[in-house]
Amino acid sequence: MSSLPLGSNAGGGRFPGFDVMAQSKHWDETTKAVVVSRLGMPPDIRFFDAAEEATATAVCDQLLDQREPTKVPVVNMVDARLAEDQTDGWHYEGMAPDGQSWRDSLAALDEDAMAHSGCSFADAAWEQQTAILQAVQDKGSEDWHGIPAARIWSLWTRYACTAFYSHPLAWEEIGFAGPAYPRGYKNMGVNRLESFEVTDAHPGQDPLGKGTS
Amino acid sequence: MNRVRDRNESAWLLPAGPGINHGLRDDMRRFGDNEEVDVVIVGCGAGGSTMAQRLARAGWSVVAMDAGPFWDPEKDWVSDEAGSHHLYWTEPRVIGGQDPVPLGSNNSGRGVGGSMIHYAGYVPRFHPSDFRIHSTDGVGADWPLEYKDLKNYYVDIEEELPVAGDNWPWGDPHSYPQRPHPVSGNGDMFLRGALACGVTAKVGPVAISNGRFGNRPHCIYRGFCLQGCKVNAKASPLITHIPDALAHGAEVRADSMVTRIEVDGHTGKATGVHYNLRGRERIQRARMVVVAGYSIETPRLLLNSTSTRFPEGLCNDFDLVGRYLMVQGAPQTAGRFDAEVRMWKGPPPEVSTEDFYETDPTKSYKRGFSIQTVSPLPITWAEHVAAQGHWGAGLRQYMSDYVHWSCLGALCEFLPLPENRVFLSDEKDRHGLPVAHFNYSRCENDRQLMSAAQSVMENILQAAGADEVITINRYAHLVGGARMGSDEHSGVVDGDCRSFAVPNLYIADGSVLPTEGSANPALTIMAIAARAADRMTTGSRAGQVRQS
Repeated sequence: MSSLPLGSNAGGGRFPGFDVMAQSKHWDETTKAVVVSRLGMPPDIRFFDAAEEATATAVCDQLLDQREPTKVPVVNMVDARLAEDQTDGWHYEGMAPDGQSWRDSLAALDEDAMAHSGCSFADAAWEQQTAILQAVQDKGSEDWHGIPAARIWSLWTRYACTAFYSHPLAWEEIGFAGPAYPRGYKNMGVNRLESFEVTDAHPGQDPLGKGTS
Repeated sequence: MNRVRDRNESAWLLPAGPGINHGLRDDMRRFGDNEEVDVVIVGCGAGGSTMAQRLARAGWSVVAMDAGPFWDPEKDWVSDEAGSHHLYWTEPRVIGGQDPVPLGSNNSGRGVGGSMIHYAGYVPRFHPSDFRIHSTDGVGADWPLEYKDLKNYYVDIEEELPVAGDNWPWGDPHSYPQRPHPVSGNGDMFLRGALACGVTAKVGPVAISNGRFGNRPHCIYRGFCLQGCKVNAKASPLITHIPDALAHGAEVRADSMVTRIEVDGHTGKATGVHYNLRGRERIQRARMVVVAGYSIETPRLLLNSTSTRFPEGLCNDFDLVGRYLMVQGAPQTAGRFDAEVRMWKGPPPEVSTEDFYETDPTKSYKRGFSIQTVSPLPITWAEHVAAQGHWGAGLRQYMSDYVHWSCLGALCEFLPLPENRVFLSDEKDRHGLPVAHFNYSRCENDRQLMSAAQSVMENILQAAGADEVITINRYAHLVGGARMGSDEHSGVVDGDCRSFAVPNLYIADGSVLPTEGSANPALTIMAIAARAADRMTTGSRAGQVRQS
């Protein structure tokens, strides 16, 4: 599989040759079916209407820095959960359940984009979209369109990250081998790898740049 | 009876290797709705399953209901994070207060086995001090029980799970039936850091079999404990108590959502439960009712069970139902190492310390916290990283560093407060029942504990060599909401889990705990249920005569 388009100076290319799906023959059938389904045709959009789909796609691309062509169909995965009402099992007092909160917040983003850029959020330039989202995040616990901004931010990131980091391509980017049943692990401990794991080629690429190599 | 097998044969009733005993389920005894059984149990988690096994062994006719499925781990569970969403209770609930506590995957299970299907597997005992914090520390509440009342039940359950770990130096010092597991990179970093800064850390205690136990196999260290153990190595009532209950004639009625407890207006006694099975309303009659739906659903069921006698909800004469609900402050602190830790390899529960469990007279706060390895998988780790404010390219870059991180979690003892409670929302679920609204706000002592725990975790990780530490503040575990007390003005049930208001109604789950300690609650919930069952079976079978 091809790697995601993360630059080699920005976290990409750390696990050269690491291939998650090459190990799938060692997975149990139930698990394999679940993971393989994420690699096939993405589920059709059922929950979002066309305008919401456009906005949601742009938001998900921004949150996970996915540029064209998008490799992980985050928006389809989010839409599928909302269509099936597969919530996290709670919603905040004074805030609608997740599906309606997604609809409301996408409409609010379009309002912001209209005020900021004179167009819908999806039509705004990448940098403008980034600025609009950053403004939401910067509000923190203050209200944004009548809802504490941090709660909307949490809603978006929870759904988007759950989708993205369930995908084998994302696992390859972070060195995670995915399912481990029924094989389990034999080499546990610091700096101890299984034969199919790949050592980080850029261990000094730590986010704060304090690494020694 | 000295041997575990003589008092609980569950591990020997399972097939050798993974899987379930299909014959035991297919041949399960089944009761008719109009058949008055000795006891109907609502909820098949830690408390309800233990109760079912004990009562069935004593010869009682038992129907144990659960709103969720009767899991088949091989077919129903996956070795995958996102694919495990169905393990959680995701029916609608509303959260509020100053510090709203997320539910669902955070702390709420469903199906036979309850939250012990997705718990990590840590099973520490409470300390003797936990039962008297009002007397000794002037905070919270005293229990109507003492540690010594539970001790023998702790020992029994530890043998039945079974528990692996080092000799335990804290609280009431004790040993475990199985030796400690080997540790992975994350546990190793904790041990290194603790040693370097003078903190005592020990391996365990975990309810993961270290070696074959009955027909249950050894752990394979795959790291997906929180997604349900397909191996049958990690203990949950699904494999530790339900098989033995079935073998002794209990019926487990899954997919059955209990909607109301029926009380006879003349006698004031419970007569059974209303429940919904595949869309149909049904009634199961019973001589006794045991509620074990955990801290949100137990109060919700009681509050939804109104009658002329109990207009404000069953057992709620003194406005105690739903109150004094607690969570534990559970900040997680991660440290970055140049070495590869690969913290997801191996069970998340490995190493813990209870050095900070008791009140430290030199501090401004009361009570304390424990620290344990946690080892998040990618989605949970992304939540940790996103909580630092990272998103977009920054998030991806941080995430690509996953192999270098180690992660610890604290459990801070929050105090029981009356306003931290469940009440009924205006919102309805698909059965037309009001959903639970759960409010939570921390007090100053709670906040200080979380901050102190974070400092200690940062010190340990830095002492192990971490050059960066990041923390996410979160909450774990639920207890309280229908607490036990010495009388009806202080508790919903007594120390035997019998409700003060209805003589044949018991509550046997985490909601009866008056305080929470800094220990994961599963073992204590099972021990309390085992003790309550003991008291029930040695007392009047009809449950009418109160034992003094």
